[in-house]
Amino acid sequence: MKKLVASALCVCMMTGMLAGCGDTAQPATDTPADQPADTTADKPADTTADTPADAPAGDVTLNVWAFTDEVPNMVQKYIDTHPDCGFNFTSTIIATTDGAYQPALDQALAAGGADAPDIYAAESAFVLKYTQGDASQYAMPYEDLGIDVAAELKAADIAQYTVDIGTRPSDGKLVGLGYQATGGVFIYRRSIAKDVWGTDDPKTVAEKIGAGTNSWDTFFSAAAELKAKGYGIVSGDGDIWHAVENSSDKGWIVDGKLTIDPKREAFLDLSKQLKDNKYHNDTQDWSDAWFADMKGEGAQGILGFFGPAWLINYTLAPNCGGEKVGEGTYGDWACCEPPIGFFWGGTWVLANKATTKTDAVKQIIDWITLDCTENGLQYMWANGTFNGEGGTKDCVASGTVMSMSNGTLDFLGGQDMFEAFVPANQYANGKNLTQYDETINGYWREQVREYTAGNKTREAAIADFKQNVADNLDVTVE
Amino acid sequence: MLDNKETKIIKVFIYIVCVILTVLSILPFWIMIVNATRSTTQIQQHAVAFIPSTYMMNNFKILTGKSFNPMVGFKNSLIVSTFATLCATYFSTLTAYAVVVYDWKLKNAFFSFVMAVMMIPAQVTMIGFYQMAYKLGLTNSLLMLILPSVAAPSMVFFMRQYMIPSLPLEIVQAARIDGAKEFYTFNIIALPIMKPAIATQAIFSFVSSWNNLFTPMVLLTKQEKYTMPIMVSLLKGDIYKTEYGAVYMGLTLTVLPLIIVYLFLAKYIVAGVALGSVKG
Amino acid sequence: MKNKNNINAKYSKFGYIFVIPFTIAFLFFMLYPIFYTAFIGFTGLKGLGNTISTPGMGLLKENIFKNFKDVIANGTFQQSMKNTVKMWVLNFIPQILLALLLTSWFTDKRSKVQGEGIFKVIFYLPNIITAATVAILFGAIFGYPMGPMNDLLARFGFIDEPVHFFLSKNVAQGVVIFIQTWMWYGYTTVNIIAGVNGISPEIFESAEVDGASRTQTFFQITLPNIKTIMLFILVTSLIGGLNMFDIPKLLVTNSGPDNATKTTSVFIYDQAFAGSYLYNKAGAASMIMFVIIVILSAILFYIMRDKDEAALKKMKKQQDKLRLAEIKAQELLNGKGM
Repeated sequence: MKKLVASALCVCMMTGMLAGCGDTAQPATDTPADQPADTTADKPADTTADTPADAPAGDVTLNVWAFTDEVPNMVQKYIDTHPDCGFNFTSTIIATTDGAYQPALDQALAAGGADAPDIYAAESAFVLKYTQGDASQYAMPYEDLGIDVAAELKAADIAQYTVDIGTRPSDGKLVGLGYQATGGVFIYRRSIAKDVWGTDDPKTVAEKIGAGTNSWDTFFSAAAELKAKGYGIVSGDGDIWHAVENSSDKGWIVDGKLTIDPKREAFLDLSKQLKDNKYHNDTQDWSDAWFADMKGEGAQGILGFFGPAWLINYTLAPNCGGEKVGEGTYGDWACCEPPIGFFWGGTWVLANKATTKTDAVKQIIDWITLDCTENGLQYMWANGTFNGEGGTKDCVASGTVMSMSNGTLDFLGGQDMFEAFVPANQYANGKNLTQYDETINGYWREQVREYTAGNKTREAAIADFKQNVADNLDVTVE
Repeated sequence: MLDNKETKIIKVFIYIVCVILTVLSILPFWIMIVNATRSTTQIQQHAVAFIPSTYMMNNFKILTGKSFNPMVGFKNSLIVSTFATLCATYFSTLTAYAVVVYDWKLKNAFFSFVMAVMMIPAQVTMIGFYQMAYKLGLTNSLLMLILPSVAAPSMVFFMRQYMIPSLPLEIVQAARIDGAKEFYTFNIIALPIMKPAIATQAIFSFVSSWNNLFTPMVLLTKQEKYTMPIMVSLLKGDIYKTEYGAVYMGLTLTVLPLIIVYLFLAKYIVAGVALGSVKG
Repeated sequence: MKNKNNINAKYSKFGYIFVIPFTIAFLFFMLYPIFYTAFIGFTGLKGLGNTISTPGMGLLKENIFKNFKDVIANGTFQQSMKNTVKMWVLNFIPQILLALLLTSWFTDKRSKVQGEGIFKVIFYLPNIITAATVAILFGAIFGYPMGPMNDLLARFGFIDEPVHFFLSKNVAQGVVIFIQTWMWYGYTTVNIIAGVNGISPEIFESAEVDGASRTQTFFQITLPNIKTIMLFILVTSLIGGLNMFDIPKLLVTNSGPDNATKTTSVFIYDQAFAGSYLYNKAGAASMIMFVIIVILSAILFYIMRDKDEAALKKMKKQQDKLRLAEIKAQELLNGKGM
């Protein structure tokens, strides 16, 4: 009997499906995303007016997609601090490892419907795809959400590169903004600097590593000095890579063609030099060995890491092996100007044009990206009050907020990190990003590793890199 | 005597090899389960230990704190596997019954066709399958993971092979004389006779559906719909970097139900493999 | 006779009715996707969210085989093909040898192995576990610098410094091969043992009477009698091997190092669902794999048919054998054979 019921059920499901397919096949081909988009674009004002009246508290559920729990936590915070906002949310978090986030997000955006994301986050390595590239058609301009973009940008004094990256070229409208400023500095171990150069003063260390010289020569002399004392200068070639990548003039793709910027090509030699002289512990970034170097437990002590403010809070601090001065390497760090200005990372927040929950989306996005008051996200973010007093601090996109904030950290031995980071943020620009950066960087780093490990010649590594790009991406390679 | 001694040496050798293989089969899972109860610090000091520690709940909290929800994956996998298995076994038996019991013109052509398509793997049809599901707006529907199992050619083949010797046509004839309807005869008489074959095939169908990664990976984008293997693949992500205990815990949670079920049904499973090959 | 035919004719419609669900599901979920995949291989379909009805994504106007040519000329595809074949061959050889060795031990009456049933259950265990879990578990086991493998090697004094296993192509491929062997040798063993148990015991008895040695018996009697089952295992394993996906996809990040663990299935997935969404290239690659698999299926089909015909010819003998296997299987099912 059970089987009968089960089989009857199956037959019903199937008939239902076949019938359903006959009905929906035709309109569905016209991509479901088009329809709701038109309605919302036409009358954003209506929707905003309707929503609070129609929907009692908690009835609207936002779908939030992100690659870490950062943005979902922000949404949660907003809901917690605004109990009468009238909505809640569900989050989908997929790590970017193995490039898993993008395909999943892409399919969710393309599939549309009730499950589609309303708010989604994109990282600098692939944000261009969503703001300017293949998937930019899914983004809803901020102004269509009912945000007075021009006025708020001005009031918050948002870093220009954040705006550049978030602006869709097809219609010149702003579709995404970040909340961080991710200009990078050199973050070094005070104790190692003292041991080698007799001082841990940022100015001296900056001089030693060739700060602002726009070349790596001085940096490598410093590496030799460190080596003589048994230290490495960086943990792996990935540390230098982020500085190289985002200081180069051109991105990987120019006019649809693969382009290898001379600065990026030179990374082959820099990496080889580091490896041959054992100036690093040959770790890969985000690997266990890389984290071990933050704790000072690698094969040789490592002077420092290149990175923006978030690297300190989200990577160095949790992996330093302690939670207060004296434990692990906590408190043994300081920031100084890097040899070459660069930026690394950052998260942009976008809205799906197919969303029907415009008002809720607007509240969240406005609060995260443009609110420059002390109640806005960025103020909490910059001053470490997001999770209560004494939390992690970060550089934020709003200049207005930065000027109201204080970046003193125990982790940096009491240094005010904003002193180092505010000048660094001027180097950040969105000009050398492309939509396939995550994938292409993966190929490039792989081949550089093959070359430095001695498995391939320099030419073969470049040729194989080009081959990989040509084989796997829709990019012309010459 | 000499022969006896030689036999003894051979036997000892056989046991040594078998014990080594046993260790190889079990050790990875043992390491996994033990590490699921150890703290990350303990694992970093020595990644292999044989005695469980006390951090099980702690690891579980870290794991579920990072939006890893094994219950959701478990539920979805259970739904998909159960219904897929029901569909596969029931309709495969029905199809085999049609081939064995009735004489119809296209019977041989049909059966040859079933055998010809027996081996088509899901991978090569996936691009078309995905585009179809996408057009229908069914990419996040578990139905797309269940319904295809109605057509399981290799199971039809197996059921036919089993049915020929086990289901005497006389029984069917007798039922007809008693006035039974054909569909009734199948459900009440044929199905119970096929029970042993259905049981083994059900186990395999369930396991392969439970373990399927490719199709759900392509189709499912919504976290509430994720099946266990996709949940598992998330453990590779950055957010679990350096949370070794939690990763091992996640792996253990996904494997434990399988191991427990296997230990209960092992006899039947191993016998089922053998049965399948004798017939096939 | 005539009467019977009439009865059969009366009921024959049920034959058609009962295969309807199978046929519908088959047409809808297998046949249509195959043709659709093939069709996509001839179109310009690429890019996120597009379908073949999107302008510019339809059939290629000139050079209709462009995608197929591109895929065949694609260096990464060639490499993934080589990897797939290499990893399959190197996993199949030890797997079949080990299975044969275990079979020869477990089926030899002269040295009855105690606990054969338990060993079979344990050897088969890895096969039942989710491949995705196995891949990530082994990724952790071979982790650097703190993985269990490094820990074990260091404790036994084989290494002084932790080894980063997945930096070496051979090691990465080797681990994939090891996992595949580890997961499947139990399955193969159980299958071959069942095949040997299907051989008439008289043959073995007479061999023993004739004074054949263990080795002689195995090579001259056992092996020739399990030819069919060996071929069955070979072809199913080959088809499975050509579609290797879960382990290579999840073991090493980005199929590294330098694409060493990229299989054709991973290639197809990457083309279609990562990067540029080249559905047309993925469709063409799928069809190339499909053709290869159809050829292999045809071989399997031929083998099976051959077996049925043989059964007809040597009716009595073979039927006895089948009957015996039947009983054996029943016993196994009832737990007696364990």
